[in-house]
Amino acid sequence: MKKYLQSIVLLTLFQLWFSTLQAQTPWDEVMMGKGEICTALIYEHSSWDQYWEGSYLRENANIGTFTRQMGMPMVAIGLTKKINIIASLPYINTKASGGTQAGQSGFQDLSVSVKVDWLQKQLGSGRLLFLTNAHVSTPVGNYLSDYMPFSLGAGAPELGFRGIGGYKMDNGLVFRASLAYLWRGQTEVERDYYYEKGSVYSSFMNVPNALNFHGAIGYWAFDNRLRMEATYMNLNCLTGDDIRSYNRPQPTNKTEVSQVGAWVQYFIKSDQGFGALAYFNQTLSGRNMGKATTIGAGITYQFKAY
Amino acid sequence: MKNLKTIYITLFSIILITSSCIEETPNYYQFDGYGFEKLDENGGTWKTILVTSPAQISISQPEATSSAAYQAELTNLKQQMSSLTPKEKEAVKYWTSNPIIRWNEIALELAAKYNLIPGPNADGTYTLPNAANPAGPPAFPFAHPPYTSRMLAYLSVSQFDALVVAWHYKYEYNRPGPYRVDTNIEPAYAKNELPSYPSNGAAIAIVSKEILAVMFPLEGAYLESKYQEHIRSLIHAGINVQSDIVAGTAIGSEVVKLAKQRASTDGMAKAQTPKPISDSIANAAFERFGWKWKNMETPQRPVGLTPLFGKVRMWNVPTVEEVRPGPPPAPGSAEFEADAAELRKFASHMTISQRRIANWWEDGLGSYTPPGHWNKFAKEAIVKAKLNPLRSARVFAYMNTAIMDAGVACWDTKYYYHYPRPIQTITGFKTILGTPNFPAYTSGHSTFSAAGAEVLAHFFPADAAQFRARAEEAAVSRLYGGIHYRFDAEVGVAQGKNVGTYAVKRAKSDGAQ
Repeated sequence: MKKYLQSIVLLTLFQLWFSTLQAQTPWDEVMMGKGEICTALIYEHSSWDQYWEGSYLRENANIGTFTRQMGMPMVAIGLTKKINIIASLPYINTKASGGTQAGQSGFQDLSVSVKVDWLQKQLGSGRLLFLTNAHVSTPVGNYLSDYMPFSLGAGAPELGFRGIGGYKMDNGLVFRASLAYLWRGQTEVERDYYYEKGSVYSSFMNVPNALNFHGAIGYWAFDNRLRMEATYMNLNCLTGDDIRSYNRPQPTNKTEVSQVGAWVQYFIKSDQGFGALAYFNQTLSGRNMGKATTIGAGITYQFKAY
Repeated sequence: MKNLKTIYITLFSIILITSSCIEETPNYYQFDGYGFEKLDENGGTWKTILVTSPAQISISQPEATSSAAYQAELTNLKQQMSSLTPKEKEAVKYWTSNPIIRWNEIALELAAKYNLIPGPNADGTYTLPNAANPAGPPAFPFAHPPYTSRMLAYLSVSQFDALVVAWHYKYEYNRPGPYRVDTNIEPAYAKNELPSYPSNGAAIAIVSKEILAVMFPLEGAYLESKYQEHIRSLIHAGINVQSDIVAGTAIGSEVVKLAKQRASTDGMAKAQTPKPISDSIANAAFERFGWKWKNMETPQRPVGLTPLFGKVRMWNVPTVEEVRPGPPPAPGSAEFEADAAELRKFASHMTISQRRIANWWEDGLGSYTPPGHWNKFAKEAIVKAKLNPLRSARVFAYMNTAIMDAGVACWDTKYYYHYPRPIQTITGFKTILGTPNFPAYTSGHSTFSAAGAEVLAHFFPADAAQFRARAEEAAVSRLYGGIHYRFDAEVGVAQGKNVGTYAVKRAKSDGAQ
């Protein structure tokens, strides 16, 4: 059965060169060797027709189905075997099937991560792993964070520090958990008065800081060429206000979300060539967020620069 | 690994640097307390709005400063002042020598808190806020622009009248302030020669609390706590003794009665009509002009916002018909098509500056509304000019009655012509601002703003051009937002200006010039 599944997944992916080079995300345990560069282009489609107003799950016919599409170029660079840099810049488009409000589109936030491999230690029949990822992101262009839910992002700089722990067994099974503290700055809006549990006379909104947890159980098959993971993600803002009754969200909101998902990635096995990835996420619970279903797919191209 | 250390140190430094350049997000206007530009010793002779004459409200003659009763009050004041907690000191600083500013801010905050449109029920019907059951849901009130304009008018008029009466007795009895009687008392605010009996602060506090409690019935406890804090701060600041306060609240209470009486019979209770009346208003327009506005939301709202607000009693304009403009161009006419084409052009080629203007003036749901925005301008102008509370109340009273009158005039026009919004006439049109639940012509924001600007231009002539330019910008912002045609905005500005001149004319003859 497992073999059958594996072949199905394989067949759905591109015919590719094999390699040990690896594309990665800021929350996983994957690292690239020195001088290796992986570029990726990811498309993501996310939609919801229900959202949480505070903790109340509701519909709104003047939004109908809300759709957010993202195209994201991404690059990961093996600075050294132990230090990798990851950068990404998503282009986002939002629209609603109902109502008369205009959707938005444009580039969102440029994010740069530094990922460090601190520990790889054989322990029993596997390796114990510990990595950290520090990232900084900042809005580019002039998208307006105050057009929620249509805004492309929170419009604030973000600094994050993440610890990633894992255990990768020799038989290909991986258990991984990562926890990040996200420090968010302010977003500048285009009005100089707003309501957040009272009057605020400012054109700046404080975007709440958050904790972000990622967990995964994965399996590396076909000689480390195919990676399959079941994932869990949880993000909790530590402060903030709720969307008020039948009102629109704003960047000061205390957003919370937890979702489960799956991730499949096919790696190449030569110095350069194409790879592919696909993922799915389903929001289970949330606060001041849409109950989104997300699918994503991407192609990667890797090569050795030095 | 050395590189690594550098990277983390750099990151840490970025956090520190960016943390230190966080902008403040204040909850009220932070300004330095100021001495009054003048005291208006003859303020008690100014014409009032609700009160016939100050003699209509009587207060007892105060005890002499040499009396044992007064001396006991003075001792009590000094005792309290000598043992203030940090919180009490903060309250003294917060309320300032011009508490009109703070009560106006409290009013705007409640407007923003209650400016939430009721959503649909599960079966697609809508429940309207009900004054008889304020807790709802939905909570009462929905503090939309007409509601807020009226709330601010009653608040400001009551404050103004209470202060004229207070000034009348201040200069009739001439009892000096505590720090004039006892030079050991160091007041928290700049010293002046204003007689302290009756307390103007207490008069402001009681009318503000009472009027706002009528307008926001669920906020009684909150308003009471603000009131108590304000009253205590008068003694803590060293500007009033207890008997000053008692006399001030006595005046305020009488003014509140007059205000409540007017408010209960001004027609507001009938402004939100049932569907049959609303439909007959729409059909009358359709028969007259061949068009009618309809709500485009899903599910459709059966009744527009306050169809009969145009019948509410005005303050400065004798009849609403005299400020009703002529008809807008018919949909489909060449003039209409030109203005509709302009909206399509703005929507598809929005510049950053146009977007900014649309958003800066949005004043939509959840905000303090366009009238609130003009109250903020008035507040800033008042502080800049260092006006005393009486003169501040006068500015707010004339501006807010003009703004409410503008609202009444605009609503009369809106439902008389019943003109469809751009999202109704232009197929597939999408907007960056939400389209409100009432007809287009004339633009409310334009009308409110032009009326407010006209009054502020009169009171602050040096800034007149700036106020008028702001009103023009408020008007055009609605085009960028996609919710009004140019003719809505231009005729709205003319209408608001016209309504504003009635208030200015009245102000010119109230004895304060």
